Amino acid sequence: MNFFKNNLALEDIIYIIKNYYSWSYLSYFDLKLKYRRTFLGPWWVVLGIAISATAMCFLWSTIFNLDWKEYLTYLYSGFIIWMWISQLVVDAPETFYGEAEKYIKAYPNPPLFYVFRKCSLNLLLFLHHLPLILIVTYAVNKKIELNVLYSLPLGMFVVFLNSVLFTTIVGMISARYRDIDPLLKSIMPPMLLLTPVLWKAEMLGSHINYIYLNPFTYFVGIIRNDLIGLDFDINIWIGALVITIFQLIIFIILYSKKRNRIIFWI
Amino acid sequence: MKSKILLENIYLDFPIYDSESFSLRNKIASMSKSAFARMSSEDKVNKVVHGLEDINFTFNHGDKIALLGPNGSGKTTLLKLLSGIYTPTSGKILIEGNISCMIDIGFGFQGDATGYENIIYAGISRGLRKKDIEKIMPEIEDFSGLGEFLDMPLRTYSSGMQARLAFSSAIASAPDILLMDEFFSTGDIEFSKKSEDKIFEMMDASSILVFASHDLELLKKVCNKAVCLKHGQISYYGNTEEAINHYKEFYG
Repeated sequence: MNFFKNNLALEDIIYIIKNYYSWSYLSYFDLKLKYRRTFLGPWWVVLGIAISATAMCFLWSTIFNLDWKEYLTYLYSGFIIWMWISQLVVDAPETFYGEAEKYIKAYPNPPLFYVFRKCSLNLLLFLHHLPLILIVTYAVNKKIELNVLYSLPLGMFVVFLNSVLFTTIVGMISARYRDIDPLLKSIMPPMLLLTPVLWKAEMLGSHINYIYLNPFTYFVGIIRNDLIGLDFDINIWIGALVITIFQLIIFIILYSKKRNRIIFWI
Repeated sequence: MKSKILLENIYLDFPIYDSESFSLRNKIASMSKSAFARMSSEDKVNKVVHGLEDINFTFNHGDKIALLGPNGSGKTTLLKLLSGIYTPTSGKILIEGNISCMIDIGFGFQGDATGYENIIYAGISRGLRKKDIEKIMPEIEDFSGLGEFLDMPLRTYSSGMQARLAFSSAIASAPDILLMDEFFSTGDIEFSKKSEDKIFEMMDASSILVFASHDLELLKKVCNKAVCLKHGQISYYGNTEEAINHYKEFYG
């Protein structure tokens, strides 16, 4: 088939798989450098999350009139997953013309290489914060469901895959049109309030279906729901799957057509 | 395996995007005027600089090629095209053998990382494994002559020391095809001498060398063929001696 022959997207994906060692090591190295010259290192971030989530929990559980224990697990998990998602969205525009520019112009790695380097750094950061969710959930619920063993890795895989697709698509568009960066930076803070992270979907009452208009609902949901023992919601998984396929199609078309132009845009 | 480089009718154009064409608002405005007609011909409406035009040559096993030409004639662009950083706008390119490019050797160094870490970092950026780098670490260590400075963060280095580190960490690879841009003018006398010897050694070991430089004596010494570039086109291709005469004739 003509489509699969000499398809740049496929070629680069194969390159990425073959060279997994390089990009994963480089993102581990990025992580190490990030915390260089701090005393508590990565624990600062964990501590910061713990402080703000706990403070928010007491405030919002009073305002919403909720049982603070139950709300604590909900807020911690939502907040930490949201940090991953919003970070990757805000990071995406600078994928090619930011830090990576000098590498792209000096060494013949495919542009997708830098997408993986960035996305796996964000994944590593999330893995760093994940124990906090597990600890809080276990402390409050006194148990963690067994199905987390498969639903958590699966959920994380889906979010990671989408982060790669999203970062590539947005990275390419914003390398060409620099308007995307300020746009996303102004959208993400209100998105936190529009996504069921701090509040629960059932609080919307008869308006509950509106949450399905928000793509972030699905990605927060697929990681969180099983993790803290919420009811299984098939809509969330279907939604995530549909968005994944949609992004995959755009990715393949855009990347195989315009991959070689990226270097001229940065 | 025999190495080979073949270029046929290569053209490389650089589109120039100014602030106007970079903006999405402008794109939407122009789209609404002529619907989708303009979208597909994106690059036609932009200014274009011809980086390389009608480049044809074949380099075979054992060729050591000098790249000559004034500033802006396309020497580095050609090297970057051969390395795979640029893809040609049109034309056919065929390369057999693995490539090492020493074009911008200090790329990706991190100021907060130590000299040792930066050596590993640079090696991994070039696709090596950590254990392979550690194997040749003593040699790099020795070559750089930086001693205990290697344990200190890069930001404490002077620019000469940074150049030493960059060069030392780039000598790790043993490629079939070596692409080299002139860069080793930095460093003190001792290091220049040492790095020149090392470069000669690497050049000898490579099966094809493409070397861009303004040092005509050096080119005469190491190269057996030469390509002279002018405004992105080949103005002369042949043996080094004659190419240098041709070059001198034009640019005195």
